[in-house]
Amino acid sequence: MKGRARLDSDRMRERDRRRVRWPALATVVLLALLLALTTALERAAPRADSSAAPVTGLPSPLLDGPVRCAPSDPDARITELRGTLREGGRLTSAIATACPRLLDGRQVVYVGEVVGDVLTRDGGAWAWVNDDPYALEVGPFGAHREREGFSGGLAVWLPDGLHEQLGAPGRHGRRGDVVQVEGVLLRADPSDGGGLNVRADALTVLAPGVAVDEPLNEPLVVAAAVAALLALLSWAWARRRARALER
Amino acid sequence: MSTVLRPNVDDLRIIGFYLGKVLGGLGLLMLIPVPVALLLAEWNAAAALVLGAAISSSVRWLADAHLATPRPLSWAHGMVIVALSWIVGSAFAAIPMHVSGRFTSALGAYFEAVSALTTTGMSVIHDLDHLEASMTLYRHLLQIAGGLGIIIVILALFSAGGSRVGTLYVSEARDERILPNVLRTSRFITRVTSAFLVVSVAALVPALLSAGFAPVRAIEHAFALFFSSFSTGGFSIMQASVVYYHSTPVELIVMLLMFAGMLSFALHHALWSRDLREFVDHLETRTLAFVGSGLLLLLGLGLVREGTYTGLSALVRRGLFTLVSAVSSTGHQVNAGETYLTDWGVLAPAALVGAMAIGGMASSTAGGIKALRLALAFKGVVHDIRRFLLPEAAVVVTTYHVGRRRILRPETARAATTVLLLFVLSFLLGTMTALLTSGVTLSEALFESVSIGANIGISIGVVTPDMSPALQAVAIVQMILGRLEFVSVLVLLGYLISFRRGARPLGAPRARTHDDRTSR
Repeated sequence: MKGRARLDSDRMRERDRRRVRWPALATVVLLALLLALTTALERAAPRADSSAAPVTGLPSPLLDGPVRCAPSDPDARITELRGTLREGGRLTSAIATACPRLLDGRQVVYVGEVVGDVLTRDGGAWAWVNDDPYALEVGPFGAHREREGFSGGLAVWLPDGLHEQLGAPGRHGRRGDVVQVEGVLLRADPSDGGGLNVRADALTVLAPGVAVDEPLNEPLVVAAAVAALLALLSWAWARRRARALER
Repeated sequence: MSTVLRPNVDDLRIIGFYLGKVLGGLGLLMLIPVPVALLLAEWNAAAALVLGAAISSSVRWLADAHLATPRPLSWAHGMVIVALSWIVGSAFAAIPMHVSGRFTSALGAYFEAVSALTTTGMSVIHDLDHLEASMTLYRHLLQIAGGLGIIIVILALFSAGGSRVGTLYVSEARDERILPNVLRTSRFITRVTSAFLVVSVAALVPALLSAGFAPVRAIEHAFALFFSSFSTGGFSIMQASVVYYHSTPVELIVMLLMFAGMLSFALHHALWSRDLREFVDHLETRTLAFVGSGLLLLLGLGLVREGTYTGLSALVRRGLFTLVSAVSSTGHQVNAGETYLTDWGVLAPAALVGAMAIGGMASSTAGGIKALRLALAFKGVVHDIRRFLLPEAAVVVTTYHVGRRRILRPETARAATTVLLLFVLSFLLGTMTALLTSGVTLSEALFESVSIGANIGISIGVVTPDMSPALQAVAIVQMILGRLEFVSVLVLLGYLISFRRGARPLGAPRARTHDDRTSR
């Protein structure tokens, strides 16, 4: 008797399992389909070439390899690092943040794209100048599909007489002016509440800002329209069923 | 030993029905930025958002049509629905992100969606500074929805479900019902948020205008700053985060918003009712005041010792801001991330790690272990020590004030300690994974892991668009566990196991089988 009861119990368990299996499978299949669809649509986007030509004739970076300092580093190490800097080289935001003491209070050359907003204040303006690959090499993402990592740059203070040269900054659909700034790097500028920035005393616009078009992803637009239609149909169906149940 | 019941089809039906409602809510959220996209001719972004909204809404309507059930929600259902809402909901929220192509992989888009909804604020997006305005708005909307709680937002959106969704509310790591009715509680939370939105935008717009922004950009940034600060999410329009503004008034308003986001909604209610006494007596207020002061002292000492900043203004604008950002779990930065290692020395980042781990208040938009748990665990330890020191016959009673004076029960202290330990395990898991998969040092791995696991978002550069998939996956798990404070996710795991090993409910109707059907 016991054996039979156990057999019945096992059978019921198996049946229950089978009944709950399909919704679980349906969920997995739905998510897999979603992944396949979105991947296909992402890949279907037009693969245009880089939107803007790379900015040429830039000074080479001050350092070729990575560098990392700590506040506890002895002055001798910082002096030694300074000895390895390339003569006439340009500062990069990576060097400035990886070793803020290295060039603190020293004259630097910095090149990048003005992005976001130019914040005009008394006596000058703050600009955010990116020196990432989108700024100097491939142009804003969207016009092309080359993924080059985070945006990155430094704050630059441009006194009156310099910031007036700037055009519209870079945003979606626009590459801002690519500028060369000469000025002093401050690790913790007291007049900026301790911010890391470059106080410019000369500015050259290397490449004026340009509008960049993002090609239309037509398969995405079609898929969105079809999905919207399906959503409307499912809404109508749900309403119809709800009314039928009410009756 | 009690037996766990095996879920049946009706259980799945009820879970699917409510999950559909959550996806429908997310679909509506995706529609909000569409007019912005159309207005600014951001056609691809508009299509991506419509696609995500349509797919999410379709699932919602299909669930409505087929899965509606009069069965009540049990606690297990509530926990499973909430856990699945965050896991599956994030997948749907990631649709517009994935098709945008701005992520290295689908996993990256999912990471971003989880990070937004859990209000972590870590990002792996490529070229944020050229992102469409509509997608920026979408990222920020996800943060405010996640910060308030997806379920709260759905409740406010649909005003439906009533008492049946009370279990969902609690399962979403919101264990304080401010008002007797869950729906009224959710409406109170919405009212508080709306009031803060109006006041803060009214304050931020003039501050941004005086900082040099054009009017339209000032409005855009004001909304974004509100969403990311009050939700304690920490996303920003620009990669540079708050350092971009170079404005003391803006930083001050953002700091106040982060502080407001860190407060529990029960305390908001007390302040709303002008009950200052409750605010002052509350265990979490006192804990945060005590611990925060200690950490501020430590951080200030560290920065002064290293000579990082010379003036008081810099110490406040960089040090205090970053501490509030860390303890409120917002993650706004006024420094480039790497400089925490290269310019702040050892003591100040250590204070930051402590602040990030503790986090804000329970039942707030903040993450982290939470001040309440820390205080209860500490009181539990003190209680045990007193018990050992006093004569055996002595009755040791420990009390604390949360809403009213309460007696600390062993199970309360144990629950707080358990979650605290689970957080520590999560931090260790992230640290070990980062050490195994990336060439980072222990301090870098620990800093980033605590920041992710406690849903903070301050990064020193370990999280990048090209981070390893393994580290991304572990970070996703950490973010979800941290946001849901483990319980609902662990219940979900138990639920999955009970599919295989659970017992059949007594008196439950026998499943109809092929034999049954043919015998009719």
